Amino acid sequence: MAEAASIGRSPLMDWFDKGIGLAFPFIVALVVAAVVLLAIGENPLDVFALMFAESFGTQRRIAATLSAATPLLFTGVATAICFRSGVFNVGVEGALVIGGLCAAFIGFTLPAALGLTLIPLAFGFAALVSAIWLLVPGFLLARYEVDEVVSTLMLNFVAFGITGYLVNGPLLSEISGNNVTPLVHEAAQLPRLMPPSTLHTGFLIGVLVVILYGVWARRTPSGFEAALVGQNKRFSSAVGISIPATIILVMVLSGVISGLGGASHALGQLHRFADGFSPGYGFTGMAVALLGRNNAIGIFLGAVLFGALASAGTTVQLFSDIPLDIVNIIEGTVMIFAVVELGRISLKRWRARR
Amino acid sequence: MLKSTAIACGLAILGMGMPTMANAADVAPAALIIAQGGLGDGSWNDTANAGFQAGLKNTGIEGRPIESKDVAAQGEEIMRRAADGGFGLVISLEWIHGEPMEKLAVDYPDANWVIMNQTRKGDNVASVVFGEHEGSYLAGALAAQVTTDESIKGINGKPVIGVIGGVKAPGIDKFIVGYIQGAKAINPDIEVKVAYSDSFGDPAKGQQMAKAMFDEGADIVYQVAGGTGIGIIEAAKAAGAYAIGVDTDQDGMAPGNVLTSMIKRVDVAVEDIINNYADGKFPGGEVMDFGLAQNGVALSDMKHTKDMIPAAYLEKVDALKADIVDGKIEVWDVSTQGYPDFFQ
Repeated sequence: MAEAASIGRSPLMDWFDKGIGLAFPFIVALVVAAVVLLAIGENPLDVFALMFAESFGTQRRIAATLSAATPLLFTGVATAICFRSGVFNVGVEGALVIGGLCAAFIGFTLPAALGLTLIPLAFGFAALVSAIWLLVPGFLLARYEVDEVVSTLMLNFVAFGITGYLVNGPLLSEISGNNVTPLVHEAAQLPRLMPPSTLHTGFLIGVLVVILYGVWARRTPSGFEAALVGQNKRFSSAVGISIPATIILVMVLSGVISGLGGASHALGQLHRFADGFSPGYGFTGMAVALLGRNNAIGIFLGAVLFGALASAGTTVQLFSDIPLDIVNIIEGTVMIFAVVELGRISLKRWRARR
Repeated sequence: MLKSTAIACGLAILGMGMPTMANAADVAPAALIIAQGGLGDGSWNDTANAGFQAGLKNTGIEGRPIESKDVAAQGEEIMRRAADGGFGLVISLEWIHGEPMEKLAVDYPDANWVIMNQTRKGDNVASVVFGEHEGSYLAGALAAQVTTDESIKGINGKPVIGVIGGVKAPGIDKFIVGYIQGAKAINPDIEVKVAYSDSFGDPAKGQQMAKAMFDEGADIVYQVAGGTGIGIIEAAKAAGAYAIGVDTDQDGMAPGNVLTSMIKRVDVAVEDIINNYADGKFPGGEVMDFGLAQNGVALSDMKHTKDMIPAAYLEKVDALKADIVDGKIEVWDVSTQGYPDFFQ
């Protein structure tokens, strides 16, 4: 989409446009939050200053923010990769959870003697299973035109059911008072980047995924074809692009990236699978993709923004009487205005299908 | 919509009513990290927060409850930030925070750390465990008396009762063994049916399993299965029989069909810790056992069932409680003693 818009316009204008696109929902959200804060008798500027300090104020807080942003890098890309082809995949959440469980499973069942090879094994298994997970609705859409919104949304519930059952039953840690699997072997835990912060190597993998996505989308024939399918299906068919093959490609890629994201979170952050593994990273990833207009840099910035809100929103409670609700309001408003973009996608899809 | 959110938000802040922020003898502030489910769960978190607020009020210490939507992953950062930010006492209600807390306690030797339902090492870490076996003993003793009394509605007179655990694990068998021991103390020949639902979140399965037990002649079933237990209570209501609730007061979930509930008083534990902390007597390195003697576990007030249970039965339960507190009766604790002969 963004690519098409840029034809015949100066790159500067294009960047300005994108900047506004990214900032606009956030500015609206701040205004809304300011109104709420005024209504409850708090000074919005003080609160925002505190929130900024808690997100980026010190090296440690920056690390906390990037740590919170890490899963969103994966889910943002996994969502964008489908959205830009007009495939409205909302199943990233489920694929991430499945991937996380698979990675943790490898991490604690295989012998610890495997050492560092556990990590690629866990990532590989997670990516494989999550890819198959999203291949199913991809195939149904490509072959039988089964609406992917419905199928991927429903698959999320199946994923929650399967993981919930396993972590409550067969994979439940014996020494646990809660629904968690055993810890993965130490060798399978991703090293931390800036100890003592929880920021881990998964962040670098996430950044790499974002970069690879950017290169694929802008510099490869397959990435260009996928974008073309999102813009105009009839035209794409006419020039010889296989729509079903594209749909299956983007769904599988989305699954692979979701699986990597789940593995990164399991091995890097929690070191196990647990109830509450994801507070909705997949859904926040949709907001990240929309906010970033499916653009690699935009996705990175969007992920950092939501990461900052998540980390600062919690720790400001230590130093003020600001409840978590304010952060929820900001997040919610950003999402609503980011979703304005969503209307464009569905309209386009509707046109393309006719 | 926005307006109502704002109002709700404002009310939430008013309702929070931070108590007197006086610097009580320069004691560093306290943080209470809310577990999954968040405030407003009507259960574990809310109960603990009530004790937290009461403790702050008593001692004049400053303190705040901390909520997060992503409490599993953010726990370590929140706790570290609290210690960096000058908090002297960090209590986490989230089970999964035990692992990182053990490491943080080493990095921050001046802060005091509290974790629930598990024991963690560290001179500045207090582990809170509850005497669920003692509370379950009283539940078993009450159930054993009621189950043979046909004058009580829904009771068949057979000495058969049941218990359904969420999973076969020492943490759950601690309840079950206490319950069996309490029942046998009343009637050595009683049959206690034991089953595991292999799930803490499956009410439908709980309902089926409880129904099966009621069909086989049990008329009271103790639920130690979290969310699965909702189905067990439903089944009791449908069968006109009785369930026993767990963790919080579940008597009101099916008034008249929940005989009693075995309550964990996390509020008592949190308040107690804050008082000790304020007095400079933080129980670092200790495992704090909140049993019957500490009022850390208790049977519910039985608001809906008290009138149908003969007073003599309740007196017997009170007498047994006194004996446990005095040390005359020792209730088997699977989590520290392993499995007894009468239950493998």
